[in-house]
Amino acid sequence: MKEKTYKISVFRFDPLKDTKHNFVNYSVPRNKAKTVLDALLYIRDHADGTLAFRASCEHGRCGSCAMHINGKYGLACEVLLRPGKNVIRPLAQLPIIKDLMVDMERFWEKYESIRPYLIRHSGEARQSYANRKEMDSMIDCILCGACFSACMMTGMNSDFHGPAAYVTLNRFLRDERDTIHDQRMELVTGENGVFRCHSMYSCNEACPKNVKPSENILEIKKNIG
Amino acid sequence: MKKYDLIIVGAGMTGLRAAIEGVKQGLHVAVISKVHPLRSQSVAASGGINAVLSKNNSDKEENDTIDKHFQDTMKCGYNASDPEALQLLVERAPGKIKELERWGCLFSREQDDSIAVRTMGAASYPRTVYSEDKTGHVIMNTLYEQCIRLRQNKPDLLRFYDEWFVQKLLVYNNVVSGVIAMEISTGRMEIFSSKAVIWATGGSGKIYGKTSNSLTNSGWGTAVPMYAGVSLRDMEFIQFHPTQLSGSNVLITEAARGEGAILLNRKGDRFLESYSDSKEQKGLSARDVVSRNIQREILAGRGVDAKSVYLDLRGLGSKLIKKNLPGVRELCKTYANLDPIRQKIPVTPGQHYTIGGISTNEKTQTDIEGLFAAGECACSGVHGANRMGGNSLTETLVFGEIAAQSAGAYIRQKHHRFPNKVFFENAFAEEKNKIQLLLKNKEGLKPAEIREKMNKAMDNFVGIYRDGMGLVEAAQIIKELKNLYQTNMYVDGSEARSNFGLLDAIELKGSLDIADIIIQCALKRNESIGVHFRNDFPSFKGRPRYSLVKIRKNKIKIRYMAVRTKTNPLLAIFTDSRSLGK
Repeated sequence: MKEKTYKISVFRFDPLKDTKHNFVNYSVPRNKAKTVLDALLYIRDHADGTLAFRASCEHGRCGSCAMHINGKYGLACEVLLRPGKNVIRPLAQLPIIKDLMVDMERFWEKYESIRPYLIRHSGEARQSYANRKEMDSMIDCILCGACFSACMMTGMNSDFHGPAAYVTLNRFLRDERDTIHDQRMELVTGENGVFRCHSMYSCNEACPKNVKPSENILEIKKNIG
Repeated sequence: MKKYDLIIVGAGMTGLRAAIEGVKQGLHVAVISKVHPLRSQSVAASGGINAVLSKNNSDKEENDTIDKHFQDTMKCGYNASDPEALQLLVERAPGKIKELERWGCLFSREQDDSIAVRTMGAASYPRTVYSEDKTGHVIMNTLYEQCIRLRQNKPDLLRFYDEWFVQKLLVYNNVVSGVIAMEISTGRMEIFSSKAVIWATGGSGKIYGKTSNSLTNSGWGTAVPMYAGVSLRDMEFIQFHPTQLSGSNVLITEAARGEGAILLNRKGDRFLESYSDSKEQKGLSARDVVSRNIQREILAGRGVDAKSVYLDLRGLGSKLIKKNLPGVRELCKTYANLDPIRQKIPVTPGQHYTIGGISTNEKTQTDIEGLFAAGECACSGVHGANRMGGNSLTETLVFGEIAAQSAGAYIRQKHHRFPNKVFFENAFAEEKNKIQLLLKNKEGLKPAEIREKMNKAMDNFVGIYRDGMGLVEAAQIIKELKNLYQTNMYVDGSEARSNFGLLDAIELKGSLDIADIIIQCALKRNESIGVHFRNDFPSFKGRPRYSLVKIRKNKIKIRYMAVRTKTNPLLAIFTDSRSLGK
């Protein structure tokens, strides 16, 4: 007979109360959940309302629910539950606020540090068809933080910008309308900059949107001369 | 206590656009949002944003004009649109696109480098600007980037409070004086005093079970200012989007039909052609028409199953789908395990947009002094009785900017007298007490049990087709649920810190109150117009009216006003700023 429930093992940790995390097992009826997020919402609704995690759009557009699911990074709303046990952990490298909710401040700070906005000193700018087309693969980044969490270097070097910030940087470097190309490069050529990336492709593997941060970083490196 | 000139509640497209203008006006601005700005519902908008650009992409003889944009919207909204608000929308729309372009927005483009446009439902010309099917995502990124830029250049003028939950809007003698909010991670409450407040909290779709809205859209955003005394307008006007993925209610954008996708019944017939009101424009008829006719087809037993028909993209070819609708393909693969290049998509109509909301005039003023509202949470009447696809994003930018201009003008001209400390302290203590009370009770129902029953009642009785009996039943259910909420509900945990279950419980009160109002308004309106279709009153007579709700002594009071007709010339307000960005 087919199992009637999914088994979910969820990382629980309250830094103000607990000395150590633990995994709590929950059962979720199969007809109530399809994705991991469905299951987490079911647990919050019907088992334990204090389970902390972020969620918003529920269909892979907003980036709230990035976490570590069954050994891989992904968006809880996009990963389907599997038979057997599902193990859910928070994003790594970032301080835990509670349970699956991590403090994203360092992630956003790095993103903002690369000046993520178009700067054009003069004249109206019209982007060309060809230039826009080059960016097709870059616009999909939803800044969920999965790559930042998967990256070996962000864990070892707190000054390293991380993959998502470099995708955004490359998006502005590639933009023919932007006029501060040289200043942007200066930001990332230092010893804690883009060369700290050792091309291990963890970010590519973690990205739920198939943005390929590694390729973007390689491209930035190539342009440093 | 934190002090600002202007507080913006909500950081979706409206809130961010208002923030940019607020800083431009030289105001000290705080943006408070219960989620990070880029997690707002606005990022999920897919199809595009309407604006008449100078070039004409169609093969028609005449060029598109802003008058035609006006007329299409008016027609789509059953002549129930407020003409002053609509005139501002269509006139300012092109400037908003140019402004986004200046800020680096990555719109899709034609081979001649011009901005690409597509046709959405009920539009007589292709005038929907887009970026693949991720338009909300790219515009939100652009707006947030500009906010970061402002914050880096003028750090003292702009402050974001991300993941702060607004509990109360403070109003003293019908004048706004700030908000009380709680930092979600720590549970710490804070009083924010301000000279003006812009409300930009989005729609209330999660009152329904079958909706494309985000978890954030609980109705709380509309309930908070209502508790403070604002009137709500046209709350019975709930838009149902014709094509949501069956099962998960993930939105399949109208742009799919704009690109040529067709709707089919079980037999493979293009059934829209057999209904008189969709015979001509077929899949690109207005949303209310398409949703109603899908529902009729299903009721006649010609659906794919008890709730679905097929959306067929196969005729578009893999190249076009990959280029213009990659998000649709991705969603279908993830949530339905099918590839629309080769397979038909089972779709069902579902709640999509809250047309009604906080009643405002075309300057975004509400009936509380110093409180301005814009975007989906507001209702200036711009969408009439049925919103045209692509107009909501235009609305967020146009009226987000206007809200901050109005707030700026208000702040400069008014002599502000803040209420004394006791007023703030009392309000603070009251909110704190409410939370303690919710945390104290330890037996009864969980909030979700009440919420699920509410969702079901709304899906069953307050949908595309309504009737008096069903609405009365829904009202009765909500009444019982409200009673259970007060007497027999509990929240897990002992403190507010990072307690999402507690927030759910707080928001559920707003959901129930807004659900109640939607039902009462739907029950009272004995006619069918636009998205509001009453089986027991299928016809529409006379001049369009809008409903206005106010809560007096815990009772819902509804009255009707005639919709303004077009006056000429335009109101002379903001003439200087209207030329901005053109």
